[in-house]
Amino acid sequence: MKTEFTTELVYTGVVGLLLALWFIATVICQFRESKASNFIRHHLDTFGMIPLWTFFAPSPGKRDYHLLFRDKYTDQSVGEWQQMEITEERKLWSCIWNPQKRDKKVISDVVQNLVSTMPHYRSGEGDYRLLMFSMPYLIVLHAVSLCKRVPETESRQFMLAESCGYIKETDPAFILLSVFHQI
Amino acid sequence: MNILNNTYHEIIMLMSIGLFISTAEYLVKIKIFATDGLLSWNVMQIRWENSSKNWLAQTAFKFINPRGLSAIFVLRCILLLALAFAPVGSLNAWLCLTGLLITVLLSSLVTFYGSDGSDQMTLLIIVTLFLVFCPIGHANPTLLKIGIWFVGLQSCLSYAVAGLAKLFSNEWRRGTAIKDVFNTRTYGSPWALSLLNNRPWLNKFLCWNVILMETLFPLSLFLPFPLAVCFWIWGFTFHFLTAVIMGLNSFLWAFMATYPAIYFIHTQLA
Repeated sequence: MKTEFTTELVYTGVVGLLLALWFIATVICQFRESKASNFIRHHLDTFGMIPLWTFFAPSPGKRDYHLLFRDKYTDQSVGEWQQMEITEERKLWSCIWNPQKRDKKVISDVVQNLVSTMPHYRSGEGDYRLLMFSMPYLIVLHAVSLCKRVPETESRQFMLAESCGYIKETDPAFILLSVFHQI
Repeated sequence: MNILNNTYHEIIMLMSIGLFISTAEYLVKIKIFATDGLLSWNVMQIRWENSSKNWLAQTAFKFINPRGLSAIFVLRCILLLALAFAPVGSLNAWLCLTGLLITVLLSSLVTFYGSDGSDQMTLLIIVTLFLVFCPIGHANPTLLKIGIWFVGLQSCLSYAVAGLAKLFSNEWRRGTAIKDVFNTRTYGSPWALSLLNNRPWLNKFLCWNVILMETLFPLSLFLPFPLAVCFWIWGFTFHFLTAVIMGLNSFLWAFMATYPAIYFIHTQLA
Protein backbone atom coordinates (compact mmCIF):
# COMPACT_ATOMS: atom_id res chain seq x y z
CA MET A 1 0.00 0.00 0.00
CA LYS A 2 2.81 2.35 0.95
CA THR A 3 4.79 1.51 -2.21
CA GLU A 4 1.70 2.22 -4.30
CA PHE A 5 1.25 5.58 -2.57
CA THR A 6 4.91 6.50 -3.15
CA THR A 7 4.73 5.54 -6.84
CA GLU A 8 1.58 7.63 -7.22
CA LEU A 9 3.24 10.58 -5.52
CA VAL A 10 6.42 10.35 -7.58
CA TYR A 11 4.38 10.00 -10.77
CA THR A 12 2.30 13.07 -9.88
CA GLY A 13 5.50 15.03 -9.28
CA VAL A 14 7.02 13.89 -12.58
CA VAL A 15 3.89 14.78 -14.57
CA GLY A 16 3.67 18.15 -12.81
CA LEU A 17 7.30 18.86 -13.66
CA LEU A 18 6.89 17.72 -17.26
CA LEU A 19 3.84 19.90 -17.84
CA ALA A 20 5.51 22.87 -16.13
CA LEU A 21 8.56 22.48 -18.42
CA TRP A 22 6.28 22.16 -21.43
CA PHE A 23 4.50 25.37 -20.46
CA ILE A 24 7.80 27.23 -19.95
CA ALA A 25 9.09 25.93 -23.30
CA THR A 26 5.88 27.18 -24.94
CA VAL A 27 6.38 30.63 -23.43
CA ILE A 28 10.03 30.72 -24.60
CA CYS A 29 9.09 29.60 -28.12
CA GLN A 30 6.67 32.49 -28.60
CA PHE A 31 9.83 34.61 -29.13
CA ARG A 32 10.48 32.88 -32.40
CA GLU A 33 13.77 34.60 -33.24
CA SER A 34 15.45 33.80 -29.93
CA LYS A 35 18.27 31.26 -29.73
CA ALA A 36 16.47 29.23 -27.09
CA SER A 37 13.36 29.05 -29.25
CA ASN A 38 15.38 27.91 -32.28
CA PHE A 39 17.13 25.27 -30.20
CA ILE A 40 13.88 23.90 -28.77
CA ARG A 41 12.12 23.88 -32.14
CA HIS A 42 14.94 22.32 -34.14
CA HIS A 43 16.49 19.95 -31.62
CA LEU A 44 13.85 18.96 -29.09
CA ASP A 45 10.42 19.36 -30.64
CA THR A 46 10.30 16.35 -32.95
CA PHE A 47 6.50 16.09 -33.08
CA GLY A 48 5.62 19.79 -33.18
CA MET A 49 4.32 19.76 -29.63
CA ILE A 50 5.44 23.30 -28.84
CA PRO A 51 2.86 25.62 -30.35
CA LEU A 52 3.34 29.10 -31.72
CA TRP A 53 0.25 31.04 -30.70
CA THR A 54 0.69 34.21 -32.77
CA PHE A 55 -2.29 33.57 -35.07
CA PHE A 56 -2.48 36.00 -38.02
CA ALA A 57 0.08 38.30 -36.39
CA PRO A 58 2.21 40.31 -36.59
CA SER A 59 1.59 40.24 -40.37
CA PRO A 60 -1.67 38.62 -41.39
CA GLY A 61 -1.67 36.72 -44.70
CA LYS A 62 -2.99 39.26 -47.19
CA ARG A 63 -2.26 37.35 -50.39
CA ASP A 64 -3.50 34.26 -52.15
CA TYR A 65 -0.79 32.01 -53.48
CA HIS A 66 -0.84 30.40 -56.90
CA LEU A 67 1.23 27.61 -58.30
CA LEU A 68 1.72 27.67 -62.06
CA PHE A 69 3.80 25.55 -64.40
CA ARG A 70 4.70 25.30 -68.07
CA ASP A 71 6.39 22.67 -70.19
CA LYS A 72 9.27 22.67 -72.60
CA TYR A 73 8.88 20.11 -75.37
CA THR A 74 11.40 18.01 -77.26
CA ASP A 75 11.34 20.54 -80.14
CA GLN A 76 12.39 23.21 -77.56
CA SER A 77 9.09 25.09 -77.81
CA VAL A 78 7.54 26.27 -74.56
CA GLY A 79 3.88 25.76 -73.64
CA GLU A 80 1.36 28.02 -71.91
CA TRP A 81 1.33 28.60 -68.18
CA GLN A 82 -1.18 26.37 -66.39
CA GLN A 83 -2.39 26.82 -62.86
CA MET A 84 -2.32 23.88 -60.50
CA GLU A 85 -5.78 23.74 -58.95
CA ILE A 86 -5.27 23.69 -55.22
CA THR A 87 -8.12 25.55 -53.70
CA GLU A 88 -11.85 25.31 -54.07
CA GLU A 89 -14.31 28.03 -53.12
CA ARG A 90 -15.67 27.53 -49.61
CA LYS A 91 -19.22 26.31 -49.27
CA LEU A 92 -21.92 27.36 -46.83
CA TRP A 93 -21.25 24.33 -44.62
CA SER A 94 -17.47 24.97 -44.42
CA CYS A 95 -17.93 26.21 -40.87
CA ILE A 96 -18.71 22.60 -39.92
CA TRP A 97 -17.04 20.55 -42.61
CA ASN A 98 -14.09 21.99 -44.52
CA PRO A 99 -11.65 19.43 -45.97
CA GLN A 100 -10.39 22.00 -48.53
CA LYS A 101 -8.63 23.96 -45.84
CA ARG A 102 -5.87 21.34 -45.67
CA ASP A 103 -4.64 21.84 -49.25
CA LYS A 104 -4.78 25.60 -48.82
CA LYS A 105 -2.86 25.45 -45.57
CA VAL A 106 -0.21 23.10 -47.00
CA ILE A 107 0.51 25.34 -49.96
CA SER A 108 0.37 28.46 -47.80
CA ASP A 109 2.82 26.93 -45.27
CA VAL A 110 5.14 25.70 -48.02
CA VAL A 111 5.18 29.06 -49.81
CA GLN A 112 5.67 31.00 -46.57
CA ASN A 113 8.52 28.65 -45.64
CA LEU A 114 10.04 29.13 -49.08
CA VAL A 115 9.68 32.91 -48.92
CA SER A 116 11.19 33.05 -45.44
CA THR A 117 14.20 30.94 -46.46
CA MET A 118 14.90 32.81 -49.72
CA PRO A 119 16.86 35.67 -48.08
CA HIS A 120 19.06 33.10 -46.35
CA TYR A 121 19.95 31.52 -49.69
CA ARG A 122 20.40 34.91 -51.32
CA SER A 123 22.80 36.15 -48.65
CA GLY A 124 25.84 34.13 -49.81
CA GLU A 125 27.25 34.37 -53.34
CA GLY A 126 26.05 31.51 -55.51
CA ASP A 127 24.13 30.04 -52.60
CA TYR A 128 20.78 30.84 -54.18
CA ARG A 129 20.88 27.68 -56.28
CA LEU A 130 20.94 25.67 -53.07
CA LEU A 131 17.34 26.74 -52.60
CA MET A 132 16.54 23.97 -55.07
CA PHE A 133 17.55 21.43 -52.43
CA SER A 134 15.35 22.91 -49.75
CA MET A 135 12.32 20.97 -48.63
CA PRO A 136 9.59 23.46 -49.60
CA TYR A 137 11.11 23.83 -53.08
CA LEU A 138 11.19 20.05 -53.51
CA ILE A 139 7.58 19.72 -52.35
CA VAL A 140 6.43 22.21 -54.96
CA LEU A 141 8.60 20.69 -57.69
CA HIS A 142 7.38 17.21 -56.85
CA ALA A 143 3.76 18.30 -56.94
CA VAL A 144 4.01 20.06 -60.31
CA SER A 145 6.17 17.36 -61.89
CA LEU A 146 3.41 14.82 -61.34
CA CYS A 147 0.74 16.88 -63.06
CA LYS A 148 -0.52 15.64 -66.44
CA ARG A 149 1.89 15.92 -69.35
CA VAL A 150 2.13 14.92 -72.99
CA PRO A 151 4.77 12.44 -74.24
CA GLU A 152 6.71 15.30 -75.88
CA THR A 153 7.26 17.05 -72.55
CA GLU A 154 10.93 17.25 -71.78
CA SER A 155 11.14 19.55 -68.81
CA ARG A 156 8.91 21.67 -66.62
CA GLN A 157 9.25 25.08 -65.00
CA PHE A 158 7.12 26.34 -62.13
CA MET A 159 6.23 29.76 -60.85
CA LEU A 160 4.93 30.77 -57.46
CA ALA A 161 2.79 33.86 -57.63
CA GLU A 162 0.66 35.88 -55.28
CA SER A 163 -2.48 37.86 -55.88
CA CYS A 164 -4.53 40.26 -53.87
CA GLY A 165 -7.83 38.43 -53.52
CA TYR A 166 -11.35 39.68 -54.17
CA ILE A 167 -10.59 43.41 -54.39
CA LYS A 168 -7.61 43.86 -56.70
CA GLU A 169 -5.72 46.64 -54.98
CA THR A 170 -2.38 45.55 -56.41
CA ASP A 171 -1.35 43.52 -59.46
CA PRO A 172 -0.47 39.85 -59.09
CA ALA A 173 3.24 39.36 -58.56
CA PHE A 174 5.55 36.43 -58.92
CA ILE A 175 7.48 35.14 -55.93
CA LEU A 176 9.73 32.57 -57.48
CA LEU A 177 10.47 31.36 -60.97
CA SER A 178 12.21 28.02 -61.15
CA VAL A 179 14.58 26.80 -63.82
CA PHE A 180 13.33 24.10 -66.20
CA HIS A 181 13.58 20.75 -64.46
CA GLN A 182 13.75 17.51 -66.40
CA ILE A 183 10.79 15.31 -65.59
CA MET B 1 -13.79 14.47 -7.54
CA ASN B 2 -17.12 14.68 -9.35
CA ILE B 3 -16.36 18.22 -10.54
CA LEU B 4 -12.96 17.08 -11.79
CA ASN B 5 -14.48 14.15 -13.68
CA ASN B 6 -17.20 16.36 -15.15
CA THR B 7 -14.61 18.88 -16.31
CA TYR B 8 -12.59 16.13 -17.99
CA HIS B 9 -15.75 14.66 -19.52
CA GLU B 10 -16.57 18.01 -21.14
CA ILE B 11 -12.98 18.48 -22.35
CA ILE B 12 -12.94 14.99 -23.85
CA MET B 13 -16.31 15.36 -25.59
CA LEU B 14 -15.52 18.72 -27.19
CA MET B 15 -12.01 17.67 -28.20
CA SER B 16 -13.33 14.38 -29.62
CA ILE B 17 -15.95 16.05 -31.81
CA GLY B 18 -13.33 18.40 -33.28
CA LEU B 19 -10.77 15.66 -33.82
CA PHE B 20 -13.39 13.37 -35.39
CA ILE B 21 -14.31 16.06 -37.95
CA SER B 22 -10.68 16.90 -38.60
CA THR B 23 -9.76 13.22 -39.07
CA ALA B 24 -12.71 12.63 -41.41
CA GLU B 25 -11.54 15.67 -43.42
CA TYR B 26 -8.09 14.11 -43.76
CA LEU B 27 -9.74 10.87 -44.91
CA VAL B 28 -11.58 12.75 -47.64
CA LYS B 29 -8.32 14.42 -48.64
CA ILE B 30 -6.19 11.27 -48.40
CA LYS B 31 -4.89 11.89 -51.94
CA ILE B 32 -2.59 14.63 -50.66
CA PHE B 33 -0.47 11.83 -49.16
CA ALA B 34 -0.34 9.84 -52.43
CA THR B 35 2.85 9.57 -54.48
CA ASP B 36 1.66 12.49 -56.60
CA GLY B 37 0.16 14.42 -53.68
CA LEU B 38 1.33 17.61 -52.00
CA LEU B 39 2.52 15.71 -48.92
CA SER B 40 4.01 12.72 -50.72
CA TRP B 41 6.27 10.67 -48.46
CA ASN B 42 8.82 10.58 -51.31
CA VAL B 43 9.61 14.18 -50.40
CA MET B 44 8.47 14.49 -46.81
CA GLN B 45 10.84 11.76 -45.64
CA ILE B 46 13.78 14.12 -46.25
CA ARG B 47 12.94 15.75 -42.95
CA TRP B 48 13.52 12.46 -41.14
CA GLU B 49 16.84 11.57 -42.78
CA ASN B 50 18.62 11.51 -39.44
CA SER B 51 16.11 9.05 -37.99
CA SER B 52 16.39 6.57 -40.86
CA LYS B 53 18.45 4.12 -38.77
CA ASN B 54 16.15 4.24 -35.78
CA TRP B 55 14.02 1.04 -35.77
CA LEU B 56 11.06 2.78 -34.14
CA ALA B 57 11.09 5.49 -36.76
CA GLN B 58 11.50 2.87 -39.48
CA THR B 59 8.42 1.04 -38.20
CA ALA B 60 6.44 4.27 -38.06
CA PHE B 61 7.50 5.26 -41.59
CA LYS B 62 5.90 2.06 -42.96
CA PHE B 63 2.47 3.54 -42.21
CA ILE B 64 3.12 6.77 -44.10
CA ASN B 65 1.35 6.06 -47.35
CA PRO B 66 -2.29 6.59 -48.35
CA ARG B 67 -3.33 3.09 -47.29
CA GLY B 68 -1.47 3.18 -43.97
CA LEU B 69 -2.69 6.68 -43.17
CA SER B 70 -6.27 5.74 -44.10
CA ALA B 71 -6.02 2.88 -41.61
CA ILE B 72 -4.63 5.26 -38.98
CA PHE B 73 -7.44 7.79 -39.55
CA VAL B 74 -10.18 5.13 -39.50
CA LEU B 75 -8.70 3.66 -36.31
CA ARG B 76 -8.65 7.15 -34.79
CA CYS B 77 -12.34 7.67 -35.57
CA ILE B 78 -13.18 4.30 -33.94
CA LEU B 79 -11.11 5.20 -30.87
CA LEU B 80 -12.85 8.57 -30.59
CA LEU B 81 -16.25 6.88 -30.65
CA ALA B 82 -15.09 4.35 -28.05
CA LEU B 83 -13.69 7.17 -25.89
CA ALA B 84 -17.05 8.93 -25.92
CA PHE B 85 -18.68 5.87 -24.32
CA ALA B 86 -15.87 4.87 -21.94
CA PRO B 87 -16.25 6.21 -18.37
CA VAL B 88 -13.79 9.02 -17.61
CA GLY B 89 -10.77 7.67 -15.77
CA SER B 90 -11.40 4.03 -16.67
CA LEU B 91 -8.68 1.79 -18.04
CA ASN B 92 -10.63 1.50 -21.31
CA ALA B 93 -10.67 5.27 -21.69
CA TRP B 94 -6.92 5.43 -21.06
CA LEU B 95 -6.29 2.71 -23.65
CA CYS B 96 -8.34 4.72 -26.15
CA LEU B 97 -6.30 7.82 -25.29
CA THR B 98 -3.05 5.87 -25.77
CA GLY B 99 -4.23 4.70 -29.18
CA LEU B 100 -5.31 8.24 -30.07
CA LEU B 101 -1.96 9.65 -29.04
CA ILE B 102 -0.11 7.10 -31.19
CA THR B 103 -2.26 7.85 -34.25
CA VAL B 104 -1.86 11.60 -33.79
CA LEU B 105 1.92 11.33 -33.40
CA LEU B 106 2.16 9.01 -36.42
CA SER B 107 0.25 11.36 -38.70
CA SER B 108 2.22 14.34 -37.39
CA LEU B 109 5.33 12.82 -39.04
CA VAL B 110 3.93 13.89 -42.40
CA THR B 111 1.57 16.76 -41.57
CA PHE B 112 4.02 19.36 -40.31
CA TYR B 113 3.00 21.41 -43.34
CA GLY B 114 -0.74 21.96 -43.26
CA SER B 115 -1.42 21.52 -39.57
CA ASP B 116 -2.61 24.50 -37.57
CA GLY B 117 -3.08 25.81 -34.04
CA SER B 118 -6.17 23.68 -33.50
CA ASP B 119 -4.16 20.52 -34.22
CA GLN B 120 -1.55 21.65 -31.70
CA MET B 121 -4.15 22.41 -29.06
CA THR B 122 -5.73 19.00 -29.65
CA LEU B 123 -2.36 17.24 -29.37
CA LEU B 124 -1.65 19.17 -26.18
CA ILE B 125 -4.98 18.05 -24.69
CA ILE B 126 -4.49 14.40 -25.69
CA VAL B 127 -0.99 14.25 -24.18
CA THR B 128 -2.30 15.81 -20.97
CA LEU B 129 -5.20 13.33 -20.79
CA PHE B 130 -2.81 10.46 -21.47
CA LEU B 131 -0.51 11.54 -18.65
CA VAL B 132 -3.11 12.30 -16.01
CA PHE B 133 -5.16 9.16 -16.58
CA CYS B 134 -2.16 6.82 -16.76
CA PRO B 135 -2.93 3.95 -14.33
CA ILE B 136 0.34 4.61 -12.41
CA GLY B 137 -1.08 7.88 -11.10
CA HIS B 138 -4.46 6.35 -10.19
CA ALA B 139 -6.06 9.57 -11.51
CA ASN B 140 -5.53 11.15 -8.10
CA PRO B 141 -7.16 14.58 -7.57
CA THR B 142 -3.81 16.45 -7.50
CA LEU B 143 -2.81 14.94 -10.82
CA LEU B 144 -6.18 15.73 -12.36
CA LYS B 145 -5.97 19.32 -11.15
CA ILE B 146 -2.45 19.70 -12.59
CA GLY B 147 -3.75 18.55 -15.98
CA ILE B 148 -6.68 20.97 -15.92
CA TRP B 149 -4.44 23.86 -14.90
CA PHE B 150 -2.04 23.04 -17.71
CA VAL B 151 -4.76 22.99 -20.39
CA GLY B 152 -6.42 26.15 -19.04
CA LEU B 153 -3.17 28.10 -18.77
CA GLN B 154 -2.05 27.04 -22.26
CA SER B 155 -5.36 28.30 -23.60
CA CYS B 156 -5.00 31.64 -21.80
CA LEU B 157 -1.40 31.89 -23.00
CA SER B 158 -2.54 31.31 -26.58
CA TYR B 159 -5.02 34.18 -26.42
CA ALA B 160 -2.59 36.53 -24.68
CA VAL B 161 0.25 35.82 -27.12
CA ALA B 162 -2.07 36.20 -30.11
CA GLY B 163 -3.34 39.50 -28.71
CA LEU B 164 0.09 40.90 -27.87
CA ALA B 165 1.49 39.90 -31.28
CA LYS B 166 -1.38 41.84 -32.86
CA LEU B 167 -0.81 44.79 -30.54
CA PHE B 168 2.76 45.07 -31.85
CA SER B 169 1.56 44.93 -35.44
CA ASN B 170 1.02 48.11 -37.40
CA GLU B 171 -1.63 46.56 -39.60
CA TRP B 172 -3.70 45.45 -36.61
CA ARG B 173 -3.36 48.75 -34.78
CA ARG B 174 -4.23 50.73 -37.94
CA GLY B 175 -7.29 48.55 -38.37
CA THR B 176 -6.60 47.11 -41.82
CA ALA B 177 -5.65 43.54 -40.91
CA ILE B 178 -9.10 41.93 -40.77
CA LYS B 179 -10.25 43.45 -44.06
CA ASP B 180 -6.99 42.34 -45.70
CA VAL B 181 -7.49 38.76 -44.49
CA PHE B 182 -11.15 38.74 -45.56
CA ASN B 183 -10.03 39.93 -48.99
CA THR B 184 -8.13 36.68 -49.63
CA ARG B 185 -9.75 33.64 -51.22
CA THR B 186 -7.84 31.46 -48.75
CA TYR B 187 -9.38 32.80 -45.53
CA GLY B 188 -11.80 35.50 -46.64
CA SER B 189 -15.28 35.67 -47.99
CA PRO B 190 -16.93 38.15 -50.36
CA TRP B 191 -19.92 38.89 -48.11
CA ALA B 192 -17.76 39.57 -45.05
CA LEU B 193 -15.53 41.77 -47.17
CA SER B 194 -18.50 43.72 -48.49
CA LEU B 195 -19.49 44.48 -44.88
CA LEU B 196 -16.06 45.91 -44.10
CA ASN B 197 -15.31 47.61 -47.38
CA ASN B 198 -15.56 51.40 -47.13
CA ARG B 199 -16.22 51.20 -43.39
CA PRO B 200 -12.84 52.05 -41.80
CA TRP B 201 -14.45 52.64 -38.39
CA LEU B 202 -15.82 49.08 -38.38
CA ASN B 203 -12.42 47.68 -39.40
CA LYS B 204 -10.71 49.57 -36.61
CA PHE B 205 -13.35 48.54 -34.09
CA LEU B 206 -13.03 44.85 -35.01
CA CYS B 207 -9.21 44.90 -35.01
CA TRP B 208 -9.04 46.59 -31.60
CA ASN B 209 -11.79 44.34 -30.30
CA VAL B 210 -9.70 41.28 -31.16
CA ILE B 211 -6.48 42.84 -29.81
CA LEU B 212 -8.01 43.83 -26.47
CA MET B 213 -10.11 40.75 -25.85
CA GLU B 214 -7.31 38.33 -26.75
CA THR B 215 -4.70 40.20 -24.71
CA LEU B 216 -6.96 40.50 -21.67
CA PHE B 217 -8.47 37.03 -21.93
CA PRO B 218 -6.33 35.56 -19.08
CA LEU B 219 -8.08 37.99 -16.73
CA SER B 220 -11.15 35.79 -17.05
CA LEU B 221 -9.43 33.44 -14.60
CA PHE B 222 -9.61 36.05 -11.84
CA LEU B 223 -12.50 38.37 -12.66
CA PRO B 224 -15.91 38.04 -10.96
CA PHE B 225 -18.10 35.45 -12.67
CA PRO B 226 -20.34 37.83 -14.71
CA LEU B 227 -17.30 39.59 -16.18
CA ALA B 228 -15.48 36.33 -16.81
CA VAL B 229 -18.52 35.03 -18.68
CA CYS B 230 -18.30 38.05 -21.00
CA PHE B 231 -14.81 36.91 -22.05
CA TRP B 232 -15.96 33.33 -22.59
CA ILE B 233 -18.97 34.41 -24.65
CA TRP B 234 -16.67 36.66 -26.65
CA GLY B 235 -14.28 33.68 -27.16
CA PHE B 236 -17.09 31.45 -28.40
CA THR B 237 -18.42 34.15 -30.74
CA PHE B 238 -14.91 34.83 -32.05
CA HIS B 239 -14.27 31.15 -32.86
CA PHE B 240 -17.77 30.71 -34.28
CA LEU B 241 -17.29 33.67 -36.62
CA THR B 242 -13.82 32.56 -37.73
CA ALA B 243 -15.38 29.17 -38.53
CA VAL B 244 -18.21 30.76 -40.53
CA ILE B 245 -16.20 33.47 -42.30
CA MET B 246 -12.75 31.89 -42.57
CA GLY B 247 -13.60 28.19 -42.61
CA LEU B 248 -11.48 27.54 -39.50
CA ASN B 249 -13.96 24.98 -38.16
CA SER B 250 -11.52 22.91 -36.08
CA PHE B 251 -10.44 25.90 -33.96
CA LEU B 252 -13.95 26.19 -32.54
CA TRP B 253 -13.87 22.66 -31.08
CA ALA B 254 -10.21 22.62 -30.04
CA PHE B 255 -10.42 25.90 -28.15
CA MET B 256 -13.89 25.32 -26.72
CA ALA B 257 -12.47 22.07 -25.30
CA THR B 258 -10.19 24.18 -23.10
CA TYR B 259 -13.03 26.30 -21.67
CA PRO B 260 -14.15 23.73 -19.07
CA ALA B 261 -10.56 23.87 -17.76
CA ILE B 262 -10.66 27.67 -17.67
CA TYR B 263 -13.99 27.55 -15.83
CA PHE B 264 -12.57 25.07 -13.31
CA ILE B 265 -9.54 27.29 -12.62
CA HIS B 266 -11.88 30.26 -12.24
CA THR B 267 -13.94 28.43 -9.61
CA GLN B 268 -10.74 27.52 -7.77
CA LEU B 269 -9.47 31.08 -7.74
CA ALA B 270 -12.84 32.67 -6.91
